[in-house]
Amino acid sequence: MIEVRNVTKTFGPTVALNDVSFSLRQGEILGFLGPNGAGKSTAMKIITTFLAADSGSVRVDGIDVMADPLKVRSLIGYLPENNPLYVDMLVSEYLKFVGQARGLSGNQLKQRTEWVIESCGIKSVLHKSINELSKGYKQRTGLAQALIHDPEILILDEPTSGLDPLQIIGIRELIHSLAKKKTIIFSTHILQEVAPVTDRVVIINNGNIIADGMIDDLQKQAMETNRLFVTINSPDAGNGLSDLEGVESVIELGNNRFEVRAPFDLDLRNDIVALSHQNSWQLLEIQEALFSLEDTFIALNQNSGGKVVDYV
Amino acid sequence: MSNALTIFRREFSAYFNSPIAYIFIIVFLILNCGLFMTPFFLQGNADMRDFFGNLPLFLIFFIPAVSMRLWAEDKSNGTFELLMTLPMKSSEVMFGKYFAAMAFYCIALLGTLPIPLMLMMLGNPDLGAIFGGYIGAILLGGLYMSVGIFTSGLLKDQITAFILGMLACFALFLIGIPAVSATIDGWFSGFGSFLQNAFGLMPHYQSLQRGVLDISDLLYFVTLTGAFLVMNTYWLEGRKY
Repeated sequence: MIEVRNVTKTFGPTVALNDVSFSLRQGEILGFLGPNGAGKSTAMKIITTFLAADSGSVRVDGIDVMADPLKVRSLIGYLPENNPLYVDMLVSEYLKFVGQARGLSGNQLKQRTEWVIESCGIKSVLHKSINELSKGYKQRTGLAQALIHDPEILILDEPTSGLDPLQIIGIRELIHSLAKKKTIIFSTHILQEVAPVTDRVVIINNGNIIADGMIDDLQKQAMETNRLFVTINSPDAGNGLSDLEGVESVIELGNNRFEVRAPFDLDLRNDIVALSHQNSWQLLEIQEALFSLEDTFIALNQNSGGKVVDYV
Repeated sequence: MSNALTIFRREFSAYFNSPIAYIFIIVFLILNCGLFMTPFFLQGNADMRDFFGNLPLFLIFFIPAVSMRLWAEDKSNGTFELLMTLPMKSSEVMFGKYFAAMAFYCIALLGTLPIPLMLMMLGNPDLGAIFGGYIGAILLGGLYMSVGIFTSGLLKDQITAFILGMLACFALFLIGIPAVSATIDGWFSGFGSFLQNAFGLMPHYQSLQRGVLDISDLLYFVTLTGAFLVMNTYWLEGRKY
């Protein structure tokens, strides 16, 4: 559905995208991840035909974005970064304007408007000036704008930025509900937001794609060791743990708490329970250190020789 | 066409969504009518020559103030990206915006219609000259507006767009004045007269003001206006790269 091939884009001396390629099948959701300034927005702007690539090609539904930008635009619903809106308009006026600009009219416009009002939950603010809306409602209005022409492709640039947790869940659910029918790219610099919505991620940093795949695979790829946190109420526990087969190292963390490291594919939990049982130790805790998306990101980033600079 | 109309409706209502439109119109009417009415009763001539004579200078301030927001506002609050990813040509968006601003200007101009009505009651004015004057006012405003929308397209900041537009309009005004072209002729022989003939707006405007609708004057305004609008569109397209 979307095919980005060897796209490079520079702004003066800054390389925003460096030979970037990825593709997306119909109905797929892609989480586009990376720190601020990584090139996510630039890539989205090129797909939506707002910017032109210096080299490389982008095809949307088989159509080259340079050859027929208007056709490509009509296929895409786009929520740009920072959610720009005409703040002097009422929500209803704004939806009518975007609907008409997207070529809707008459009954069709009415039906689509009703649908986006319903699915984005903006009925209560319909006759308010956009100026007066809270950030959450503004974001929903922006989403409604992107959805009004029932596009096959949705491109959402940081749809959840600046929202409170409840609002984020709301947006997430909306994306989920659209997932079956639409091809979606959404970007974020917050890693936790990706996992609930999609499995497929592309991680980008300094204009380079450093990972492309399923979250699980990426975690495995990034993970080298398996870490367990164990608390056993006995002074001898440290030695006992080091003697277990396969253990690479045991680090004492104080208060009888240990970090046990083993190869990634080795599950030591059974052995630790058995060991405590044998020695009549009180086993208080076994916790697997989950390799989070953050760790994945940092590890992948280091592997690729990049620095995690402004990552918060 | 329907795309341009959609943009036109949005832009036109944008003027009236804030009190600025009313302030603009009131200032336009008070200053213009005030400047005209003060000497009017002293002279006792039933014509609008002074009114139209003031316009080229007055509009240098008024028109860029109307046009400054056309692109700069969209650029500064991000809606530019929204417009440029709608399935319509840049030229359609541009025409929608341009004609919305022109419609706003024409409304301000309509507010001056009581003057010719009053003249008709008081005396026997030359209606041809007044009609020609209004045509001239619309063409002149149209030219300034195309300069204004062009400078607004270059910039993100409305105030800078206003000042740049004002300077550009002022330059067009100045090179059409004989004293200025004579001075330039003094520096580079013939260059001042060339500029005056090719780009100066005053000779063309003045003949319209006399009620003479000459095709060459109309062509001057339409061509130059068109040139700025085309440049504006090319700039928008070229921005992608």
